[in-house]
Amino acid sequence: MTVSHKGWLLKRLAVVGALTISGTLAPFAGLSPSPASAAEPFGPVPAIEVDAKKAALGKRLFFDKRLSGDVAISCASCHIPEKGFGDGLALSKAYPGSEGFRNTPTLINTAHKAAWFHDGRLGTNLNDVTRETLTETYIMNMDMRLMQERLKQDPVYVAMFKDAGMGEPSNGGVRKLIPEYLKTLVSRNAPFDNGTMSDDAKLGFELFKGKAGCAACHSGPRFSDDRAHNLGVPENPDIWGDPRRHMTFVTYAIFMGVENYMNLRRDVGAHVRTHKSDGSDVGKFMTPTLRELKYTAPYMHNGMFATLDDVVVFYSKGGGGDPNRDQMLKPLGLSPQERRDLVAFLESLSGDPLTGPEHVWTEKIPVNYKPIENWVEVKN
Amino acid sequence: MKTIKTISLAVAASLFGAAQLGLPQQAAADMNAPLGALGPPPVPPDNPMTPEKVELGKLLFFDTRLSGDASVACATCHEPTQGWGFSNDISRGYPGTLHWRNSQTLINSAYYGKLFWVGAAKSLEGQGPAAAKGAVAGNGESDMMEVRLSFIPEYRKRFREVFGDRWPKLSNAWKAIAAFERTLVQTDTPFDQYMRGDKDALDDQQKRGLALFQGKANCIECHNGPLLSDQKFYNLGVPRSVRWEEDGLAQISFRFEQYAKGVTQELYRTIKDDAGLYYRTKEKADMGKFRTASLRYTAYTAPYMHNGMLWDLFEVVEFYNDGGGENEFAANKTDLIKPLGLSDEEIEDLVAFLETLSGDEIKMTTPTLPPYAPLAAAE
Repeated sequence: MTVSHKGWLLKRLAVVGALTISGTLAPFAGLSPSPASAAEPFGPVPAIEVDAKKAALGKRLFFDKRLSGDVAISCASCHIPEKGFGDGLALSKAYPGSEGFRNTPTLINTAHKAAWFHDGRLGTNLNDVTRETLTETYIMNMDMRLMQERLKQDPVYVAMFKDAGMGEPSNGGVRKLIPEYLKTLVSRNAPFDNGTMSDDAKLGFELFKGKAGCAACHSGPRFSDDRAHNLGVPENPDIWGDPRRHMTFVTYAIFMGVENYMNLRRDVGAHVRTHKSDGSDVGKFMTPTLRELKYTAPYMHNGMFATLDDVVVFYSKGGGGDPNRDQMLKPLGLSPQERRDLVAFLESLSGDPLTGPEHVWTEKIPVNYKPIENWVEVKN
Repeated sequence: MKTIKTISLAVAASLFGAAQLGLPQQAAADMNAPLGALGPPPVPPDNPMTPEKVELGKLLFFDTRLSGDASVACATCHEPTQGWGFSNDISRGYPGTLHWRNSQTLINSAYYGKLFWVGAAKSLEGQGPAAAKGAVAGNGESDMMEVRLSFIPEYRKRFREVFGDRWPKLSNAWKAIAAFERTLVQTDTPFDQYMRGDKDALDDQQKRGLALFQGKANCIECHNGPLLSDQKFYNLGVPRSVRWEEDGLAQISFRFEQYAKGVTQELYRTIKDDAGLYYRTKEKADMGKFRTASLRYTAYTAPYMHNGMLWDLFEVVEFYNDGGGENEFAANKTDLIKPLGLSDEEIEDLVAFLETLSGDEIKMTTPTLPPYAPLAAAE
């Protein structure tokens, strides 16, 4: 009955919070109209120190379907380790009864991001991202009050929470623990980092920094400026042709306060953060990381490009046909060999797959709940 | 046949403005409302009945898309073949959950002033959304449910015709469902015929049962008026559900409900039974109290009580014959029920009378639901 616990109020607060604190914490992530003036240096993605017990607990939660409303899906249903913690689909699945309208982003290196989701609508922290994802009606549709009681019914969680110094299983605990696990998902051992790039890839790197101009936005260890840009990526017609996807978009648009939502046939993207009345911010999306691309095809916020070559061809043509397309995009005139070099470089940014037990919960997670013994006598 | 006749009668009666039924809202404290035949149900002035609205409400009642994962309809827990309730002690819940109370029949729900076991909804229009959104019931989210309706061309057409909506409004969906539910009434039971003057409608045993009902057994103390419910709240000492000791899913829902209903931390830790009306009033004296249920249509709605702890009408009568039961809210147990000293024969007579409060089973087949379709860009 009460919807506030399902998160909508908190979500609004989080968006407001992002707008007010981003000036001090992050370089106004995703909101600035100009590209980063001084590109961050490239380099390996720094590992993040974690509390091992909390991360292990977060890992179990990440793979537990009981964290969704009807226990049908877990975080890992769409963020699949073998697919670079994406799902390999152009457009994501969604909670049963719905279908998604965007491409599932990789979670590798997500703990280093300044803003989350393709539209950057959360600019605070992974604690908020966890809550948003669990409670959103078309993602996991979980009433977190019920989730808390489910966790308290599982003796494994009760013991693990206690052992991790987190008291008894709680909503707040989950929102801390899943982020702790996500911090362990960091790229490592990419040819770019360990000095094993091919000659083609090295040539591609020079193009990347020079003629192709990729580095204007894809900068820093993750190759992202954490800002939103309009590239004119064509719309994915499957969103508007499939009622289950279109409905999900409309539900999202209503919640985000987008006007004229029944008539839109365009994903507004980061407009949900800036709400410019002239619509000039419609169609901007956050610069994604270029790491782990080998595992995360298809590409772009709506999965419209199947291969990295498709992506490079798109940029070589100067992007798509949107009137508000970013002025930085110009035809590049890349030769076929230059395109191959660039793709070779992009492939050198993918490291070891994070598919071992360090990153994947391998023990069976029960789907049923045992009754608490001596229930009448023990405290709830 | 029966169903259609019952429904069309109800609609017709409502359309002719027969809303002023003789159902007293509150009987005087020491005077029980007299038994009587059931008239047409009241219709709120802001949701008048039309055949088109009722037909739309019927579709929506059976439509699983009015839930979180599009798998649960109103009819899922209010199953026409299960007495328009759910034939188990505790109702099924949203997938992955169990509910925590018995699912009540919808037959004659139109006559209650408030809905749910402790009157938590003020109207049928308010009951639908509360159930559709509850985490252990429908787990739906309003924006999503409303948007789904917009992608069903047949609903767009019908909401426009019935309500003038440009796009279907969810609030109107609840109104249409409430209008449909106001047709789920039964006013032609043997008891009604008897009260309307057909003295042969009850046989001798049933008449003896009626006399016990009003006399020695004193059921009429609370089960009075044409609905056979005073719509007030009592603790009868119904024992706690056995589910909570035996079933992990039930334990989860039990704690969730305490948490969601905002009890104190202390109570959350210690409570071991459903505190009933307390969740609404937060008055200790209301712990364990539930609204008097109508006795109509009970031939089809076993098991009985708010937690389904009594499995047939004999168990119910024997429960009262013993002077009720015991639960952890003993301090609040009503002193209206005392051991009755009914003989076996009297118990049989009383059950025979109770059976006259149900007519033919009201049947309905699930309608074919209109599909989604892509939404063309605005003309």
